[in-house]
Amino acid sequence: MSKPKPRQKSSLWLTALPLYIFTLLFVLGPLVYMVVLSFQQRAEVWGVLNEYTLDNYLNILQPVYLNTFLQSFKLALASTGCIILIGYPFGYFMAKLPGKWKGRMMLVLMVPFWTNSLIRLYGWIIIFRANGPLDALAMGLGLTDEPLKLLYTYPAVLVGMVYVLLEFMILAVYSSAEKMDWGLVEAARDLGASPLRAFWTVTFKLTLPGLLSGVILTFIPSMGLFFIADILGGNKIVLVGSLIQDQLMRAHNWPFAAALSVILMAMTSLMIALYKRITHTSELEGIL
Amino acid sequence: MKKLISLLTAAALCLALAGCGGSGSEATRQVNLYTWENMFPQEVLDAFTEETGIQVNYSNFDTDETMLARLEAAEGGDYDVVLADDYIIETAIAEGLVAPLDKEALSNYGNIDPFYQGQFYDPDDTYTVPMGSGVQTIVYDPARVSVDVKGYKDLWDPAFADSIAITSNFRVMNGMALKILGESYNTSDVATIQAAGQKLLELAPNIRLIKDDNVQDDLLSGEVSAAVMYTSQVTMACLANPELEVVYPEEGVGFGIMAMFVPSAAPHSAEAHEFINYLLRPEVAKQVFEFQGYYCTNQASYDLIEPEMQDYLILPEEFKSNTEMIENISAEASEAHVQVWTEFRSACGL
Amino acid sequence: MKAKRKFRLSYLYLGLVVLFLYLPIALVAVYSFNAGRLSSVWEGFSLRWYQELFRDKELFEALWNSIVLGVCASCGAAVIGTLGAVGFQRLRWRSKGVVEYISTLPMMTPEIILGMVSMAFFSLIGLPFGMTTLIIGHTAFCIPYVYMLVKARLVGMDKSLVEAARDLGAGELQAFFDVTLPLLAPAIASGMLLSFVMSFDDVIISLFVTGVNVNTLPIKIYTQLRTGVTPEINALCVLMLAVTVAGVGLSALLGRLGGHKKKEETL
Repeated sequence: MSKPKPRQKSSLWLTALPLYIFTLLFVLGPLVYMVVLSFQQRAEVWGVLNEYTLDNYLNILQPVYLNTFLQSFKLALASTGCIILIGYPFGYFMAKLPGKWKGRMMLVLMVPFWTNSLIRLYGWIIIFRANGPLDALAMGLGLTDEPLKLLYTYPAVLVGMVYVLLEFMILAVYSSAEKMDWGLVEAARDLGASPLRAFWTVTFKLTLPGLLSGVILTFIPSMGLFFIADILGGNKIVLVGSLIQDQLMRAHNWPFAAALSVILMAMTSLMIALYKRITHTSELEGIL
Repeated sequence: MKKLISLLTAAALCLALAGCGGSGSEATRQVNLYTWENMFPQEVLDAFTEETGIQVNYSNFDTDETMLARLEAAEGGDYDVVLADDYIIETAIAEGLVAPLDKEALSNYGNIDPFYQGQFYDPDDTYTVPMGSGVQTIVYDPARVSVDVKGYKDLWDPAFADSIAITSNFRVMNGMALKILGESYNTSDVATIQAAGQKLLELAPNIRLIKDDNVQDDLLSGEVSAAVMYTSQVTMACLANPELEVVYPEEGVGFGIMAMFVPSAAPHSAEAHEFINYLLRPEVAKQVFEFQGYYCTNQASYDLIEPEMQDYLILPEEFKSNTEMIENISAEASEAHVQVWTEFRSACGL
Repeated sequence: MKAKRKFRLSYLYLGLVVLFLYLPIALVAVYSFNAGRLSSVWEGFSLRWYQELFRDKELFEALWNSIVLGVCASCGAAVIGTLGAVGFQRLRWRSKGVVEYISTLPMMTPEIILGMVSMAFFSLIGLPFGMTTLIIGHTAFCIPYVYMLVKARLVGMDKSLVEAARDLGAGELQAFFDVTLPLLAPAIASGMLLSFVMSFDDVIISLFVTGVNVNTLPIKIYTQLRTGVTPEINALCVLMLAVTVAGVGLSALLGRLGGHKKKEETL
């Protein structure tokens, strides 16, 4: 294929300028400040000194804080796993719905999405509460005699995480499944592939970008969404987000909070780099 | 579709402009009040506006730290009256963000209970007017536990397994252990703080909930059987269920004051003083405290408070001698507190 | 036959997940009619909290602020993000990759840090706090959503369409408006919707970059938690739900009209 030359003269690149300027001014500016802050020394009671140090980063290596990262990571992994298990089939089935129903389902999904997440989590408190609806149901069915004491437990936090983040996964998977050429699946079937094999070699590969971007959209926030651990977990599960919150709001140690954030960001950047590496594999490009 | 998009864009731009331009102020007198949500009943603010023509703009912050950060960013400007906690006011004064009060303009100044004055954050009462006080008390439901709670140490009783709620203010919580060890809340000795941390770890199996907001709900619904709570929550809980037992811990009562101040570059200083003076009136203070549920700091209004609320809104005389306030401590000690607390919380989650 | 049964199973699955998504909201709605102040115990049916809600003018002011903010931020993000995604495709600057990466950073920075450093930065450059700073702050974290969605759409787009338009004599701008933009519209729309929702839900960044007397709805809800949620919030939630449902219904209606148009176009 020969590419026509005139396209090179395009002046459409000018449209990138607003993003360029906005990003440099209002995103890079604050972030640079954060990195600088992470190398500064905290003042005795409040604020920072103009002295530079690596102490904030060394501080993270203490077992207490490493443990927090580990705990946070485990929870994020567990909730992302659940979200994939529930959200991927949903996005997939939704894309297979007849045209009219696709739109309707999208509308159905929009309503919870538009509702304030604090309020939605509040609904779960009502459900999990001692002698609440769930207890009543379990006792009515004769499963238990006593309240289940579900509120303020690890499973409650997991449910909350899945609940708040699930729709990101559904929408991501749906958008890539919807774009997919279903003819390819049929072709694979015609060529003698079993349904499972056809799914694995065609559908799964084609929806992988959606799945992975869903993972990014759910895994990263679940490391920081400390208010879910607060509200449903009784604050007993320490996430990196809660640690940052404590450092800022109670210990007044801004530089350490900034250092924690830099590490958290480095970890998420790593994930995104990985995502790019995976989605840019040659097979995918071949199909595009 | 093209037209729709350009229409939408145009509409968005118009809205953006309207939003930016809409903040222009009128010539009316106003006062910018900055404090937590739900500290003043709307009737009190409306009555002030009606009487003086001064409009009250009520802005909220979530924590003292947000308030101080924003006041710093505004260099002591933007706000006229700030109501916040004691320790943060000490920092704000040290940073020069607080203006001395003009006592001449405060004719009701004498209504303040002197017990709440001359405290560490403002020893000469130059800058602040106290507006509410709270203590950390233990509240428990005798219907659910047979333990006779006298002080903090009783919370360690195995009978309380997985049924205690505490607040997330770690200075207060680590402070419980410090108090049991007979130490001060404000010790700067790292080894002592760590020893308290070891003591605190033993409490972990009893903790069901760490929460600042709305804990009374959990106590009333039976989610927990005992809770360490702030005064306003105690008041709300006891009004809903008078059977609850309130304990002032024998090891010592942790105690805090909320106070109002006028920032150093307040745009409406005269109106701010007028507003503070209005709040110091006995009948106004009565309304405010009955709404807040904190201990009343206005002695002139003690007799006005409704009889059934007297017990909850006036600090019992006998505990006044056994109180200690939580003050700002060294960076090193505060770092030790965070570590102890983080370790404790992780232990609770297991 | 076999295929039909499979489909039914998948419908059941979809239905169950939708139930999971709606159950908590339904309960919040039910408890808005609770007579008692404490939401833990059902004390009978009452409209008391709706009455209180309508008397709370601050709450409505906050709601209005949130709507204005959400619309401004999502539109700003839509314009900047879309143009950016289109432009970046053509751009050959070396710094492009870095800037692209930085522009998506707000999505993965803890909100509290973003809020804090934005505040420090705005005060450094002397921007007065208020609606303007709120809009800038929110636009910053909304852009990545629009940008990523539009970019994904651009990658999947059939480039020959634009080329065909150019071959037929359309100018660069005309090709952009007549071909590219309509093709991008669904991505832009969903990016804007996502942005609006994120902005409408944000508490932490708003707390830091807001100004005097500009409360947003989430700030109100969040700070009310300190003194205890009253069912007034539940009542508000029901009202917002009603508005959402109405909005969703309206867009369904518009969608149906749009759908007809599409059919005409293909004909």
